[in-house]
Amino acid sequence: MIPSDHFTRFYNEVFKFLESQGEEALEAYWLAISKNQERHILELIETQGLEGMYEYWSHIKIEENCDMDLDFNEDRLELRMNVCPSLSKVMDNDAEPMERYCDHCAGWIGPIMDKTGYHMVYDVIDRKKPQCVTRIFKDPAKARAAEKDAKLLMGWPGHKVG
Amino acid sequence: MAESEVTMRYEEGGNVHLDFHGAANTTIDFIVERFGVAAMDEIFRKVGRDVYASIRSDLVAGDTRQLVRHWRHFFDREGGDYDIAIGDDQIVLTVRRCPAWHHVKALTGSVSPHFCDQTTVTNASMAEGSPYAIDTEITGEGSCRQVIRRRA
Repeated sequence: MIPSDHFTRFYNEVFKFLESQGEEALEAYWLAISKNQERHILELIETQGLEGMYEYWSHIKIEENCDMDLDFNEDRLELRMNVCPSLSKVMDNDAEPMERYCDHCAGWIGPIMDKTGYHMVYDVIDRKKPQCVTRIFKDPAKARAAEKDAKLLMGWPGHKVG
Repeated sequence: MAESEVTMRYEEGGNVHLDFHGAANTTIDFIVERFGVAAMDEIFRKVGRDVYASIRSDLVAGDTRQLVRHWRHFFDREGGDYDIAIGDDQIVLTVRRCPAWHHVKALTGSVSPHFCDQTTVTNASMAEGSPYAIDTEITGEGSCRQVIRRRA
């Protein structure tokens, strides 16, 4: 058993292999993971919208030991990751981190937001630092306005940026 | 020095997120379907060789204690039903209820036929170039026997 605690280091090896196979392979994988994650979050979004997302990430914050602030109001949900446990483990690793490790997060969340009619603005800030800010809006105009403040805006399959 | 006093390279604490095993199962299905079993095995070999370089280095030096502590630490954290018998000639980890396999079964209803390759191949890779072989025998659904023994 690769312990669940070490999944991110396994994930990192998978990303390196897929990157060597080309961008299409990486994006197809993120979509497969996104589909897998639907079983945990889709119903919450479809029945409770932003509040359902808040419930999901409140649970993740505890279970994945995230140093993260969640801010929810009727317009948007903000996830401010102060110390990301996933990238932290990948950096604390005897194997080499994949340079675009952070891309997977937008890679699985983005397609779910597209599917449910929400608009995500995912600011990675710096791929070498375990921190990021994700904002999810119902109103696309508010999302477009928020994109202007991002330091390193991340896209996902079907939603390219930059 | 006792096994419990050996430093583990990755000593995780806090809460446990077992749903990662579901993502691992999806990953294994995806890689095997698109790239074949050999590609999946090569990724597991890299996990054994590179991610677990510290355990491998200890095994190469003839020291099994970090691996045994690793087994205890993570099977305890995930609530596995197991025991470890340390004998003169071999060390046997008997897993009666694998928390990873059973979590995936409960989540998805079906587990990839290659799910346990993560154990078999990673174990073999960690032991590569060391005086030990680690053989993994799948004894049933979510159960196995992992044996460390000196190579002949």
